[in-house]
Formats: sequence, structure tokens, C-alpha cells
Amino acid sequence: MKVPLLQGFLIHHPLHPLLVHFPIGLFAFSFLLDLGSLLAKPAPALVSGAYYTMLFGIIMAIFAAIPGVVDWTDIRDDRLAKKTATAHAWLNVTALVLYMMNAWIRSHEMNASQTAWLPFLFSFVGIVLISISGYLGGTLIYDEGIGVGRHRRYNQTPQCTVQASPYSSTGNGMHSFKVGETTELCEGETLRVEAGGFVLAVVKASGEFYAFQEFCTHRYGPLSEGILCGFEIECPWHRSRFDVRSGEVTQGPAAVSLKTFPVRVEGTDIIVSVPSDA
Amino acid sequence: MQKIFRFLQGHWLRHPLHSIFVHMPVALWPTVLVFDVMSRYGAGDNVLMRTSFFAIGLSLIAVLFAVPTGLVDWAGIKPERPAWKIGFYHMLLNMFATVIWAINLGSRFESFRIATQASATQMILSMFGTLLLAISTYLGGQMVYSYGVSVARISQSKWGRAAAMARANLPEQGK
Repeated sequence: MKVPLLQGFLIHHPLHPLLVHFPIGLFAFSFLLDLGSLLAKPAPALVSGAYYTMLFGIIMAIFAAIPGVVDWTDIRDDRLAKKTATAHAWLNVTALVLYMMNAWIRSHEMNASQTAWLPFLFSFVGIVLISISGYLGGTLIYDEGIGVGRHRRYNQTPQCTVQASPYSSTGNGMHSFKVGETTELCEGETLRVEAGGFVLAVVKASGEFYAFQEFCTHRYGPLSEGILCGFEIECPWHRSRFDVRSGEVTQGPAAVSLKTFPVRVEGTDIIVSVPSDA
Repeated sequence: MQKIFRFLQGHWLRHPLHSIFVHMPVALWPTVLVFDVMSRYGAGDNVLMRTSFFAIGLSLIAVLFAVPTGLVDWAGIKPERPAWKIGFYHMLLNMFATVIWAINLGSRFESFRIATQASATQMILSMFGTLLLAISTYLGGQMVYSYGVSVARISQSKWGRAAAMARANLPEQGK
């Protein structure tokens, strides 16, 4: 799903990771105020402070969830990151429900001189849940590169990996695979394809189709999620650029050129040839 | 030295550390501004002012952890890359923001137990500090989401195996 505004195309920054600072920071702070109220009793101001902080955290968590859902739908279905993101989402939903119950309980005990054990327990569980969830969210960005460079590409990224069907053997050490129909791809759109043991990105540039290796030669960024500028594909992660026709590097940090694969169109079929030696 | 760098970069946790610690100031300083505004409208008696005081203090403690972890992340960027310059401005803005919030905290030290609303000076400090923080946070986000700083740094070998499996050309060894 593509929702430009919620994906942060306008401010060139994804919204979900920006908004989540608030619930994470506020819930943690609220818990520390609870601890403070237990240590320094009587401390009615800390008890109310913990409650107000929690309320603000709940409001911001709801705001953070909206772009979060959109970012989740944008992850390719066969990526490991999709599973991680699903776990991340359910942990957050659970934590949010717990915090809502927590705040409701607290709203009835506003004049306490220290936080009662039940809301304190709720907060403790909440902190554990959002710590795990926050960690998973962090690995989505830093390990899996979700959301990295996404705002620079305005069209849809591939939603699945195409398992290409063998087309014919051309004899000269190459195997042909049908990767899709010409009508599937608009200008600047990409496919992610598995064919003959290779993983490829197929792109339509200036009306022609080009195929090259999926993994960037710098830190292996997903080029099928890259940004096409003329005949250059830009890696979403660290902005290396390659000529899609030759695979040559046109901008670092990458130093090694991409493998490229011959593409031809027969009728409406897009056919890619890959070496058959393996 | 190398070991300290890798520790501060979060290799042991498999997650960068700087981006964890910054949650506290990024969340709490704008919250203090909101509480200040609310206190000016007569909300919360002394509770908001007291909570704000602790929020600023706690954030400054988190800053102590965010500085060294941020510096090693920045040191890992090659100076000729655009992210290096963004990181430099990010650091300068954070320094200014930290000083302003430290002054803000100092101005509340005497009164936070009894004050029921933020003074005009405190409001201005909170506004200015939040503005600096917002710009700085945005730049920090640009480093990650536009330039990929720390992205695929810890997971590099995992992706390398995936690329080798997919029979891709790989980076030259030793680079």
C-alpha cells in the first residue's frame, strides 16, 4: 500500500520512527516517576506526574500506529522483516491496551501518595513489552533497512519475489526464464525475481527492460527497492548508483559493478537469460 | 580502543545505542514545552512543573549516554560522505540544545517544588530548546533514512551470505 503523506514523502523522513520517540520516552519516564513515588513517599505529585505522562504517551502511541500500519503493508511479503514487523505490531497493540487499562485504573486513584501495586505492575509489564518491541523496531531499520531511502522512491516497491518459470534453453550456456508480462511494469517500476539460482531486479527504464543482480555490491542493499534516475539505479540504503545497462558503478560508495542479465521481449512476455552452469 | 568503539556502536546488543538513548530527550523536552504551556493556562497546580523538572533532568542524564555513542557512530562515517557534514551539524545543534536545557533546568531548581506555572523566561527557553532539538532530530533521521548511517552495519555478514547465495557480485574483500 502506498500512502505518500503517511510514509513521510512530504517531509522526506518516515513518520513512524519519529513519532515512536514519544510513547517510548514517556512510558519509560512514567515508570521512573512511579519508582520515585515508591522511594520518596509521600509523593502525590509524582503519582499524578506519572499519570499525565502516561496519558500523553497513549495519545502519541495512537498517532504513531497510523503510519506504522502503512509502513508494515509496504514490506515485501517474503521478507523476514515482515514477520518481525508483525510481531512488533502485536507487541505494541498489547502494550497500548495495557497502558489504556493502566491509565483507567490510575484515574480512580488520583490522590494516592504513592503508586499502587496494580498500576505499577501494569507499567512494569508495559515497559518490558515496549522494550522488546522497540528493539525489534530498531532491527527493522538497522538490520533490515526498512524505511531507509523509501521516501526517495515514489512508486510501489515489489510486494513479492517472482519465482520465474523456465522458458526455453537457448543452448549457449544460458537458460531463459519468463519473469512477467510487459503490462505489469510501468516506467521506473521494478520486479524482484528468482531465476536459476540468481536473485535479480528487473526494471523498466526509458521503455526498455533491464535485469541485474538484486544485491548492491556495497552492503547488499535491495536494488529492486532502489530509485531509478534515467538509466541509473540508486541503492536505497547508501546511495550507490549503477548503470542498469552495463552494471557499472556511477557513484560510490560501491566499487564493484553489478552482474547484468540479457532481457528480451517476446509478445508480451519479459524473458531474462541467466548462465546455466550451476 | 577498537573494542570500546565496537561496544559503543552496539555490536554486543546488535542494535546501535545512540538511537536508543535519544528517545528520552526527544520525547521529554517537547513534553516539557507542552506542560509549560498547560501550566500557563493554570493546569495541574504544581504537578506539571515538578514533572517537567524531573523530565529535563532525566533527559540530561540520557544525553550523557547519547554523546559517546553518537560520537563513535559519527566517527564511523567517511569524512567525504555527505552524512559526515550532517552529523557535524547534528552534533552542534545538540550541543546548543543541551546547554539551553541545562540553563532551563537550573532556572527551575529553586522553584520546582512550589511553582504552579512556568515563567516567561522558562517558556522561551523551552521553546527555543525544543526548536533546536526538532531540527537536530530531523537531521539525525536524515542520516539514517536518507544516507543509511548504521544501516546494515551489524547485519552485514548476514546480507553477505544472502548475496553469495544469490550468486551476486560481492564487494572486494578487505574494502
